Amino acid sequence: MSFLDSTAGQTLETLMRFASARQTLLAHDLANLSTPGFRPVDVPVESFQHSLRDAIDAVREGRAAELKPQDTDGVRFDGRTPVLEPRPRSENILFHDRTDADSDRLLADLAENTLAFRAAAELYRFRMAQVLSAIRERP
Amino acid sequence: MFGLFDISTSGLVAQRVRLETIASNLANQETLLDSSGAYAPWRRRSVEFAAGDPSHGTSMGTHVAAIREGESFDLRYQPGHPYADDRGYVRYPDVDPVFEQVDALDAVRAYEANIAAVEATKSMFASALAILA
Repeated sequence: MSFLDSTAGQTLETLMRFASARQTLLAHDLANLSTPGFRPVDVPVESFQHSLRDAIDAVREGRAAELKPQDTDGVRFDGRTPVLEPRPRSENILFHDRTDADSDRLLADLAENTLAFRAAAELYRFRMAQVLSAIRERP
Repeated sequence: MFGLFDISTSGLVAQRVRLETIASNLANQETLLDSSGAYAPWRRRSVEFAAGDPSHGTSMGTHVAAIREGESFDLRYQPGHPYADDRGYVRYPDVDPVFEQVDALDAVRAYEANIAAVEATKSMFASALAILA
């Protein structure tokens, strides 16, 4: 089994796919900061993480041959590709123009999401470098 | 993931149009005549945003759905003014510079938020490309 087929590789790939899809939602929310009546949307990150953790545990305990996360609240899985079903964030009182966009929370989530993607990409790159190093038989 | 840039760009474009409108209002706060020289006091303009980006045929992003012209004017009592009405009032543009400046600040902050989104997306791309390097 190569790294790309391993549970670690599949997990990182799923995480990167999720983060890039969520980035679309956050960018959409930020683009509509001034749109009257706009309700920002997002997906519950915890649900995705729980589903991913359960899928990793299933592989680790031998209950599943490969990573197969289950559909969860706000995230459906097409194979290992997360398909987001966004819903209103509803975390702020409505402003006078019926918009409840919360720019500081949105930007914090954007930074967190970007870091999650970059962390996964960095780990992936590191493991790939290890594979390449093994192929070349030198560090 | 390339669509991400389009979403943030739609926000940048919309906020820039908003700033242009504010700049027009401020520049014309004392304008009484139109470009042909006829008496037509400047009507305060305001942008109306709507979600989605019709130029890309997508429901993501934002766009300026309309630029509205105000109906109200600032009446100043200036009898003897060439454009005074029967009662001696002259209609001036109803532009409040303080309001416009606060609106401009809001537009600039929203523009910066979209720039932050572009920067974040760029760093994600850089990380993804580094996998191949």
